[in-house]
Amino acid sequence: MFKKQYMYVLFIALILLLAACSNESSETEEGNDTTTETENESEESVSEETASDVEQVIKIANDQEPAGLDPHKTPAASSIRVYSKIYEGLVTFDENMEVEGQLAESWEQPDDTTYLFNLIEGVQFHNGREMTAEDVKYSFERILDEETASHIASYFAGIESIEVLGDYQVQFKLAEPDATFLSNLTHSGAVIVPQEVVEENGDLQQVAVGTGPFVFEEWVPDNSVTLTKNENYYLDGIPKLNRIEYYTMLEEASRLSAIRTGEIDMTTVNAQSAELLSGQEGVEIKDYQSLEYSYVGFNVEHEILSDVKVRQALSLATNRQEIVDIAWKGEGLVTGPIAPSMADWSIDVEAHELYSNDVDKAKELLAEAGYADGFDITITTASSYPDMVDTAQLLQQQWKEIGVNAEIQQVEWGEYIDIWSNTSADILVGRNGSGSDPDRAMNYFFHTEGSANVWNFSSDEYDTLVEEARRTIDLDARKEIYVEAQNLLLELSPNLFMVSPKNYVAVRDSVVDYVPYAHSTEDLDEVFKK
Amino acid sequence: MFTYVIRRILMLVPVLFGVSVLIFLVMRIIPGDVAQTILGTDATPEALQQLREDFGLNLPLHIQYFNWMSGVLTLDFGESMRTGKEILPDILSRFTVTFELTLISALIAWIIAIPMGIIAAMKRNSNTDFGVRIVSLLGVSFPNFALATIIILVLALVFSYSPPVGYVGFFEDPFKNLEIMIIPAIVMGTSMAGAVMRMTRSSVLEILMQDFIRTIRAKGAKERVVIFQHALKNAMIPILTIIGLQVGTLLGGAVIVEQIFSLPGLGQLVLTAINQRDFMVVQGSVLFIAFIFVLVNLLIDILYAYIDPRISYK
Repeated sequence: MFKKQYMYVLFIALILLLAACSNESSETEEGNDTTTETENESEESVSEETASDVEQVIKIANDQEPAGLDPHKTPAASSIRVYSKIYEGLVTFDENMEVEGQLAESWEQPDDTTYLFNLIEGVQFHNGREMTAEDVKYSFERILDEETASHIASYFAGIESIEVLGDYQVQFKLAEPDATFLSNLTHSGAVIVPQEVVEENGDLQQVAVGTGPFVFEEWVPDNSVTLTKNENYYLDGIPKLNRIEYYTMLEEASRLSAIRTGEIDMTTVNAQSAELLSGQEGVEIKDYQSLEYSYVGFNVEHEILSDVKVRQALSLATNRQEIVDIAWKGEGLVTGPIAPSMADWSIDVEAHELYSNDVDKAKELLAEAGYADGFDITITTASSYPDMVDTAQLLQQQWKEIGVNAEIQQVEWGEYIDIWSNTSADILVGRNGSGSDPDRAMNYFFHTEGSANVWNFSSDEYDTLVEEARRTIDLDARKEIYVEAQNLLLELSPNLFMVSPKNYVAVRDSVVDYVPYAHSTEDLDEVFKK
Repeated sequence: MFTYVIRRILMLVPVLFGVSVLIFLVMRIIPGDVAQTILGTDATPEALQQLREDFGLNLPLHIQYFNWMSGVLTLDFGESMRTGKEILPDILSRFTVTFELTLISALIAWIIAIPMGIIAAMKRNSNTDFGVRIVSLLGVSFPNFALATIIILVLALVFSYSPPVGYVGFFEDPFKNLEIMIIPAIVMGTSMAGAVMRMTRSSVLEILMQDFIRTIRAKGAKERVVIFQHALKNAMIPILTIIGLQVGTLLGGAVIVEQIFSLPGLGQLVLTAINQRDFMVVQGSVLFIAFIFVLVNLLIDILYAYIDPRISYK
């Protein structure tokens, strides 16, 4: 009997709860409708107003959650787009990939191994303290300190000493002439950070105090990052926006729907989505040629692939234009070892013999190598990148023509990185960034000692060339060496260089003066909303 | 009853121990290196080594496990390897999102499923019954992610509407919160409803065919009384079981729905952590999810006893 009473209480409670909730949900649905209407109305009225009345807030959908905010420790693109608004380096690239000053007003080079930077006076960190030469020294020492485990330490390994010559003057001494030094300084990680903030917090993963146009306000994990205008920025009239709000939206469909309805103002999209969005009212698609390129990497110690003729045969059997047309919807450029957007550094590969897709010649080479009947091999690629999977499948078909039977192995990203770093695949389809200096694409990926030369590739002739290029300060002479080195690399084919894709950004038409370019894909300094 | 609950809670210990060992080992067996994932292709071998040392990954396995566990026992789940953020507070804040989503979805599911299941059982083999059965089958078999994507597309293309971006908590802004939550909750609710509907129908049907129902009807009881006072009460046990399992699973995070609707819930946390090989976060969250799952099922077992007086725990 006692229990029965409990039962009734429980039952009534449940019914009350149900009743309460059914009201709630119907109310919210009504609420939904009204908010939609008001939003639409406000949108319409906004477009009629003048720029000055518009709230200067831009909402950007980030396709990945930032992986921390420390510029010296975090190479993730989702992090870079946030911290590059907060921090600044000594120099940067302009849209023509020419080095220009940022925190450094000017610089001179008394001799081949010495760089002297004159800093802009009166620049303040967001905590109010003035940025001086001591901060520059501290920042680079932090990057080079092994304890920091910085991803960009290798870029600056050639620094012998850093000397503060005055509050606004700092001198870098290099161990040997290094033509890459200035362009390496433009790296998104090579920025100036305040020592006291690092010491107070251990690192800069959760906090961000720089000198840049935007001030870090808040990071809500898996949700949003908010930046606000730096009112004390040293350049007049910059930035124009009051706030940047980044929202983490992993799903492409959600980002598409949000840009369509104007819930967000800007998002990167893939080629397919760019096509879907073209013609959508209120949305503009901006594209630019990226610094990235896709490649086919060979383990050159593999029994079959160690023969350069086999690798050349595979290069000849590859129809790169077909890969551009299918995997990249026709929007992308066939590339050599240095991506075409690296202005004058890259070579024209169209005319190169190994790019001619000559199947007969490929068969000939294969026969010479002793594989007249072809062979079986595995291509490994990352399942999370559709373009890589498409590329692998196209290669599988194309190589069949010369009797090469490739099996495709798709792996998850974490495993892929593991396979890449251990060279535990025969053939890997992947994507590289050309970096800010050709040295990256050449020396770092293919020199015998290069940290990212995971291919076991080694050529004395090649090593000598890229070492020489690194030391050659004269621009024209340096370019010549790289032309030679690139041709040699194509000849030896430790990798097949495939396609440099375009990147796409979908932007609401209320966003003014946004121009993405390869080195700075999201420069918002001059951007405002109308 | 009391001793039963105590015993069940004590049983949590070996279960959680098992889960902790399992997830600890799995995270170390699967390929992928957290240091390499963090530093990317630019990393030098020295930097990689330094990071592994910082994370204590160079220590022997049993020491790593011991270090982790001694933290967990004092409710210190450690820090994220990626962001250095403390893990437990993060888990708890994610859990509130997941909890709210589960609650609303479950309510939507029950409001639809239980009445429809009862009606279908009462009108067995009628058109209504067939209708309900088809709807429930659709609910069970139509994948969440497809329904979610379709709803998003239709709302955007036809009604020019998309849910507001940026999650806000219920107590910060209840209306915006519900506006964000309602669509994912409908998506989850409908798929939950399918299973509950089927279970309600078959379970009520079975009871309705039993002798005591005939006796009650013979007494001249009204159909309303037969259904609500006698049949439903008896049919509740299997329904409750399935609800318990569903709620338990949902509380572990609705990975796909959370991802599609950008909700910062538990599922999203675990998924990101797995992709980034953030061992500590994965271990901590999985342990927490296991704890919640076992707890929900314990609650359901206790509820049984209230609903069916014949069940007693000794």
